[in-house]
Amino acid sequence: MKPPYFEFQNSVKLLCGELSLERIANELQQLGAKAPMLLTDAVLHKLGTSGMVADCMQAEGCAPVCTFTDIPVDSSLRVVNEIARIYRDNGCDAIVAVGGGSVIDTAKGVRLVLSQNTDDILAISGVENLSRGTHIPFIVVPTTAGTGSECTGVAVIRNDDTGVKMEFLSPFVQPDAAVIDPRMTAGLPPKATASTGMDALCHAVEACTCLQANPLSQAYGMAAIRMIAGNIVQATRNGSDKQARFAMALASTMAGIAFSNSMVGAVHAIGHALGGVCHVPHAVAMTILLPHVMRYNLSHAAASYAALLPALVGDDAALNTPADNRAEAAIDAIVRLGSELNAACGLPLTLEAAGVSKDAFAQVARVAVNDGALIVNPRAADEQQVISILNAAF
Amino acid sequence: MKLFFQKLTVGVVLRVVHAALVELYRMDSRVKAEFDALPEGMSYAIATGHEAPTLFVRWEQGKLHRLPSLDKAVCNLRVKSTAHSFQLFTGQMGLAQAYARHAFTMQGEIADVMKLARLVNIVEAYLFPKFITKHILTDIPTLQKNPLSVYGRIALGFLTCKY
Repeated sequence: MKPPYFEFQNSVKLLCGELSLERIANELQQLGAKAPMLLTDAVLHKLGTSGMVADCMQAEGCAPVCTFTDIPVDSSLRVVNEIARIYRDNGCDAIVAVGGGSVIDTAKGVRLVLSQNTDDILAISGVENLSRGTHIPFIVVPTTAGTGSECTGVAVIRNDDTGVKMEFLSPFVQPDAAVIDPRMTAGLPPKATASTGMDALCHAVEACTCLQANPLSQAYGMAAIRMIAGNIVQATRNGSDKQARFAMALASTMAGIAFSNSMVGAVHAIGHALGGVCHVPHAVAMTILLPHVMRYNLSHAAASYAALLPALVGDDAALNTPADNRAEAAIDAIVRLGSELNAACGLPLTLEAAGVSKDAFAQVARVAVNDGALIVNPRAADEQQVISILNAAF
Repeated sequence: MKLFFQKLTVGVVLRVVHAALVELYRMDSRVKAEFDALPEGMSYAIATGHEAPTLFVRWEQGKLHRLPSLDKAVCNLRVKSTAHSFQLFTGQMGLAQAYARHAFTMQGEIADVMKLARLVNIVEAYLFPKFITKHILTDIPTLQKNPLSVYGRIALGFLTCKY
């Protein structure tokens, strides 16, 4: 059913495929930048991944004037404010972010602080409440195939004082360009390949089935689901398969475009809380929670789940499934995918395996019901219902 | 004329919503629990369109005070037009639907909107008949009291200038 009203925006230029990194300098120059700041994390810095990007920029005459490598696994408001200060002190005029969701979301936060001419990102928190502000050229280079953050209008950043992951929603956090270069995910270990791929699947599933779903976000979401279902196991088992890697990177980007324009749902609300309270990596939380939340939502979202089946198992298999069983079959297909990945790389499939204690459930539930993603979930959930989902996932 | 009628209706409904929250604090355990968990001084501003009614409320000393104005609320909601406000406050669109349709902007923390959304959902379940709430709420909260008793208390409150 088409919604009575929807909005769709994707203003990010995508540079996809071989030798993409070598185009960053040209993009920066076209955006009027001469002194970019490079943001990454310590692991990518040590592995030389961010160095590869910096070298490509330098070779074409647009070397980073400073590099920040201490972005934590869970992005933080304090780090965002600190980076903005360093950016100003060094006279930078653009941001290049190299990393996964945490690095990219931190960079989005920095861009917001700079473009809104403030010192504290908390002062500008909200939903669609900001004007465009000063344009800060901003390019992202994702190093995982999962977050889709390179194309989303949201930044999720952890509040250091409360431990809560906060969402900053604005069309102006979208980068000017995203660079999808297969070299960036070539060295991703199997478990990270699997979990980030399941994160992308979760984005696509929730984007297609939440209250804000619309025909355009569903088109991107369905294409992403089909691509993930066909490539995630291969990319996990054989990381050197360039086609599978590239397919996963594109699927992640498409899922990002989908959920940026229709939000997500309870999987993310509870997953954000698990990350904030128990420090469960986001992608692992998504992997574990997705089928359990789908079962919880089934009474309210059966038709939209049934519509996912062809993308998950192929058109023929979906057609051979009785119409009344297709929603359940879609959930079963996702469970099977998780089991295959568990067998391939040991991807955790329960909260217990992820090291979560049941003692934390009450606190997780209290945080989850206040997460903005829950507002568009197909079924409402109170604290007790969230705890029942957590118990099922334990 | 249509715009004037919409603004008038929205203004009246805002007063009724505030009154309902005040009464349900004593009548519904979930509303009481939500308010009791709010920090002292928590404030909301709800603007309903250009030169349209605005509701300012602050939670202080166990009471939800309606204020004539407020310099800066902790959580500021601004509905994008009076037409959207009219839909939102006359049972044609729920808060989740309003969010999904990008009908409002918010300054502050999303967590504070979620608290308000839960309260508004309960208020709507009492104030609107079921044939309306089933279209605007994903799940209809169970009623702990007869809606007529809520309406009765609100009417009495207005008659005694309680709000």
